[in-house]
Amino acid sequence: MSKNLTIAAVVLAGLFFVGFKSAFVIDQAEQGIIVQFGEPIGDVIADPGLHWRVPFIQEVRRFDKRLLAWDGDVSQIPTLGREFIIVDTTARWRIDDPLQFLRSVRDESGARARLDDILDSVARDIVSGTELEEIVRSADWEVDMSNLAEEEADALAETDLERPKKGRAMLEGDMFAASSRLMPELGIELVDVRIKRINYIDSVRVQVETRMISERQSIAARFRSEGQGRSQEILGGMERDLRRIRSEAERTAQEIRGTADAEATQIYGAAFGQDPEFYAFFKTLESYDALNENTTLMIDAQSDFYRYLQSTQR
Amino acid sequence: MSQSRNVLHEILGGQQRPPDGPTGRQIATGLVALLVLAAAFTSFYTVQPEERAVVKRFGAVYGITDPGLHFKLPFGIDSVQKVATERVLKEEFGFRTVDSSGPERTRFSPRNILDESLMLTGDLNIIQVEWVVQYRISDPIKYLYAMREPTRTLRDLSESVMRRVVGNRIGSEVLTIGRVEIANDARDEIQAAMNRYENGLHIITVELQDVVPPERVQPAFNEVNEARQELERMVNEANRELNQAIPRAEGTANRVIAEAEGYATERVNRALGETARFTAVLAEYRNAPEVTRTRLYLETLHQALPRVGSIFVTQEGQVLPLLNLREPELRQIATSEGAQ
Repeated sequence: MSKNLTIAAVVLAGLFFVGFKSAFVIDQAEQGIIVQFGEPIGDVIADPGLHWRVPFIQEVRRFDKRLLAWDGDVSQIPTLGREFIIVDTTARWRIDDPLQFLRSVRDESGARARLDDILDSVARDIVSGTELEEIVRSADWEVDMSNLAEEEADALAETDLERPKKGRAMLEGDMFAASSRLMPELGIELVDVRIKRINYIDSVRVQVETRMISERQSIAARFRSEGQGRSQEILGGMERDLRRIRSEAERTAQEIRGTADAEATQIYGAAFGQDPEFYAFFKTLESYDALNENTTLMIDAQSDFYRYLQSTQR
Repeated sequence: MSQSRNVLHEILGGQQRPPDGPTGRQIATGLVALLVLAAAFTSFYTVQPEERAVVKRFGAVYGITDPGLHFKLPFGIDSVQKVATERVLKEEFGFRTVDSSGPERTRFSPRNILDESLMLTGDLNIIQVEWVVQYRISDPIKYLYAMREPTRTLRDLSESVMRRVVGNRIGSEVLTIGRVEIANDARDEIQAAMNRYENGLHIITVELQDVVPPERVQPAFNEVNEARQELERMVNEANRELNQAIPRAEGTANRVIAEAEGYATERVNRALGETARFTAVLAEYRNAPEVTRTRLYLETLHQALPRVGSIFVTQEGQVLPLLNLREPELRQIATSEGAQ
């Protein structure tokens, strides 16, 4: 009985093994092809789930059904304007025709190698035939100068701010179109090609930074001299006002003095005019009041004054 | 059926049997028991509150389950992939938050980070932009099966979009007023790309962090700010001087005028006073002209003569000393005459 049981167990295990080898699962993310001695058999299995094959002689090649990412090498490319830039492109692709894919590139690493060749060379062709502005700016490029501070707008005066003829999106479209043409024979569908990074190469970057520095410095110098200018303007205005204020006050003062002098003259004239002779006598007497020890008096012996003096001595 | 009952019997009774070496029957029983145990352990799963689980039967998507305890077919017939749909995820560009530790965080070198953040503006200047993309997995099935590397694609696309948006603007705009607009444009554009790929990602926000000129240029930008401050300082200083000088000058002017007015009053008053005196004396004089004249003359001399230093009398062109008037002076004169 134990012997029978063992045989049964072995047969069962064998059947189980055969069953196990003939069933296979295609995942939601996959598609598969049955290959018999290296030769694809039947259609592509795109439905996920449990599938069957002839055990031992057929094997399953699985391919990803999802969108895949491709990232190009970073390459140095000169633009039409001879600036060397670093361009890094990225693309999305999927295995569209697994049979063709299997025949032409075998697997993903084969496909990546082909994509590297194709996309890098397309990117190189298009970038080297294009001005840098075209790659950086987009078709709806517009500069609203009114938004910019005056000194920034002046700093841009030298720069070419024209709208690009194509712009970045369209260049990416060109890259996509040029590379898509080569895809069907690889069994690949390209979904998009995009420029991920553009930068100057290091030596150019240093130059550009130096230019930016000098641009800023000239703006700074402009601010400083503007400050000096405005300060001078204010101080000049101040000087003008000061002179006006002083001279006006001086003029008014002189007018007031003049008026007063005239008035005094008129008063004196009116009073002294009553008896000019007496005024002269009166004024002479007044001037004697000013005599002091420094005065030397010369008296004529014939004068009245001398006679008075003789009389006072007696 | 009967077999499984046997198995149960064996499991329960196995301990009571004397251990006389494993028979074939015992091995089979053990295997079956293991199988049952494995089945028991692989036929349920728990979904956390922030997750959804995608259930697949033989690799084909079968459904989505909500948080909680769930059962499934064992032995890999059903498989489950949990996706954190409620969690807000974040990708950083141009910088890395240090404390979100983990091996993949450390594989970025600073050079890579700089490569991410350096970009060109529309006026072909260089700018350094750091930003964060916050997103959520809105559709777990699409997230798992539309694209192999959705996160990497999100990173690639974010960089591409940000460079396009920044490249379509003037550098100074990016640095100042353009930030909000750039973030919004980038968000919309990244979302549009994700929708095109149908990868089930929902972009919540794009937030710009530091947007600065390249490191070497930054001092020059600071210099501009300093110069702008200096401009204001110079204008303020000039205005301060102006505000000091003008009121002072106005005060001085008022003083000059007031002094002139004082002079005027004084002058007129003196004239009035002097003329009043003259008029009064004149009135008296007219009453008795001769007497008054002589009196006035003598009075004046009387007052003035004692103060006079020296007096000479002249007669027909000869100078005669006036004797006995002032002794010392006369003697002096006499000696000087003797010398002649």
